[in-house]
Amino acid sequence: MFLSGFGPLILAGTWVTLKLSLLSLLLSMLIGLAGASSKLAKTSLLRGWATAYTTLIRSVPDLVLMLLLFYSLQLGLNQCTEALGMEQIDIDPFLAGVVTLAFIYGAYFTETFRGAFLSVPAGQIEAAIAYGMTPWQSFRRVLFPQMMRFALPGIANNWQVLIKATALVSIIGLADIVKATQDAGKATMQMFLFAVVGALMYLLITTVSNLLLIWLENHYSAGVRKAVL
Amino acid sequence: MSDIIQNYWQAWLWNDGYHVSGVAMTLWLLIASVACGFCLSIPLAVARVSSRRWISGPVWFYTYVFRGTPLYIQLLIFYSGVYSLHVVRSVDLLEHFFREGLNCTILAFALNTCAYTTEIFAGAIRAIPYGEIEAARALGMSPWVKYTRIIIPAMLRRALPYYSNEVILMLHATTVAFTATVPDILKVARDVNAATYASFEAFGIAAVLYACIAFALVGLFRLCENRWLAFLRPMGH
Amino acid sequence: MYKLTVNGLHKKYGQHEVLKGVSLKAKAGDVISIIGSSGSGKSTFLRCINFLEQPCAGEISLNGELLQTVLDKKGSQRARDPKQLQKMRTELSMVFQHFNLWSHMTVLENIMEAPMHVLGLSRAEALQRARKYLAKVGLTEQQENKYPAHLSGGQQQRVAIARALAMEPEVMLFDEPTSALDPELVGEVLRVMQALAEEGRTMVVVTHEMGFARNVSNHVIFLHQGRIEEEGHPAQVLSQPKSERLQQFLSGSLK
Repeated sequence: MFLSGFGPLILAGTWVTLKLSLLSLLLSMLIGLAGASSKLAKTSLLRGWATAYTTLIRSVPDLVLMLLLFYSLQLGLNQCTEALGMEQIDIDPFLAGVVTLAFIYGAYFTETFRGAFLSVPAGQIEAAIAYGMTPWQSFRRVLFPQMMRFALPGIANNWQVLIKATALVSIIGLADIVKATQDAGKATMQMFLFAVVGALMYLLITTVSNLLLIWLENHYSAGVRKAVL
Repeated sequence: MSDIIQNYWQAWLWNDGYHVSGVAMTLWLLIASVACGFCLSIPLAVARVSSRRWISGPVWFYTYVFRGTPLYIQLLIFYSGVYSLHVVRSVDLLEHFFREGLNCTILAFALNTCAYTTEIFAGAIRAIPYGEIEAARALGMSPWVKYTRIIIPAMLRRALPYYSNEVILMLHATTVAFTATVPDILKVARDVNAATYASFEAFGIAAVLYACIAFALVGLFRLCENRWLAFLRPMGH
Repeated sequence: MYKLTVNGLHKKYGQHEVLKGVSLKAKAGDVISIIGSSGSGKSTFLRCINFLEQPCAGEISLNGELLQTVLDKKGSQRARDPKQLQKMRTELSMVFQHFNLWSHMTVLENIMEAPMHVLGLSRAEALQRARKYLAKVGLTEQQENKYPAHLSGGQQQRVAIARALAMEPEVMLFDEPTSALDPELVGEVLRVMQALAEEGRTMVVVTHEMGFARNVSNHVIFLHQGRIEEEGHPAQVLSQPKSERLQQFLSGSLK
């Protein structure tokens, strides 16, 4: 029988991995936009916070942050429920995974977007203001679309790293690809086979997203001349 | 907080009473895997930029597979996967090697960082202006001299900023080692957490230790860049 | 006895024939200028002489020693023995249009590199040579520890000439050495080259500088569409050109 009947379990795990990565991507991009805006803000307080945030994330391993947030939140929650005389509420690993991954990759997106904002020539915004656009209009109509074009390679890179980082969430108990293939391996005593199957699922996801990103890049580089060697 | 430090500081830093642990183990994991990966990646990077498909193709495949899958899964394959194979258990040497979690971990880490480093170095070779390589040929350098004296030194220097980033990421990645029972910083943190239920303190101390190592590494690489990347800086003073 | 002879060189890029049988003979002390419009094949010809480009046919010999070649699958010549080619290249130093200094090495390291690791000189000997030729091209010891990116274009090209000189070559090849320079820097490089010519060095120079071709060289070759259209003593070739193409070329370039 195909994969000893564990096919559906592994597919379900793949679906969880995909949901987790996509949701964290979305959330982390929002955090990244906010972070980049703070880093480029005029108030030094905002810049200070944003710098502290990105430095923290870049120096502490993602798994440590994940465990720190997961266990501390759980403990804090337990203390609350105990004080209120309620039953223990367990933090959902999926939610915890989305939140921690978004928090971590938000920092990487902050750097990506900051660089992209800085790559847009100042003259572009000057031109927008000279034609009487409001600050919001010039952001929405001129700055943002151009910034996205510069940010695309960085987004692609962060996405590839993010997908692989989701594998760590199985450590806090999420039933993703890793968990599914490990369970299947233990049940059938074929650890090697199922670990390789797990790796292949990731390879499939990264390959498909690679192709998609290449297509996107061609699509969005309209009006940009490629360097010819 | 202070009891945790008092009771466990040796385990955090270098020894948990039985073996090397904590910071010392994390550093050993990092240094061993990065050093192996570095040595392997230089010939692989040279092969990766080769115009002959049958040389560059296999290297491309290797880096594609190792960069396209999570390190955690790679570790699981080497640690629990390979050891479960009948072939491995029947050969003494392999049995001995793969029974040790530490061996599997360093092997997986080295292969993983080697894949990333190979691509970084290959990119750096492509960034060397072609004329500089042509000048080496025009002055009568043999391929060996051309590579060892011109291409590889130029590659290593140009790759330095990207390589330092890879080493930091590898430091972050060593944290999965505890799943193979290697007593690194995070394993100590988990043990402390299990013994005391002081999760925030246990993982907080781990975070601080990792951050200190990361800062030290960043500082070290900045010194190296000042020394070896002066040639790329624009003219000044 | 000729130092360098090139006989019937042919070069094709795909279907496009760039060189259609070009020959050259240089005696000791000859300074040969190769002129022609862009696309005439003059740079390709020079690059074929030391096999940076592989010709399809033709013979190259240095000091009477013929470079042994074999044809590869694509129909280009390859050196039969790479060692022979490497040795020949050490005796045919090349100076490039874009200098091609090794950007990660200082001025001194650039010059010492090949003498030490190709010719096998000791560090002390290489250093002595490097300083000698740096002085010859007019650079001071203050500049010897700078990186190429921190020098002007004219200084970089003079370092590149010193690098070529440090090989103590039989023949020097110059591939448009002043074309990448700002106009005000051309003079310093040309003066160095003129001094080298006056020392009696054998040089083959691809150039756009008609003043150099006229005043310094003793033989001028005008290439047009991969063939030698006209050659001879500069006084004659440049002052009384016979072919119409050369007349057109000269009237264009003397503007």
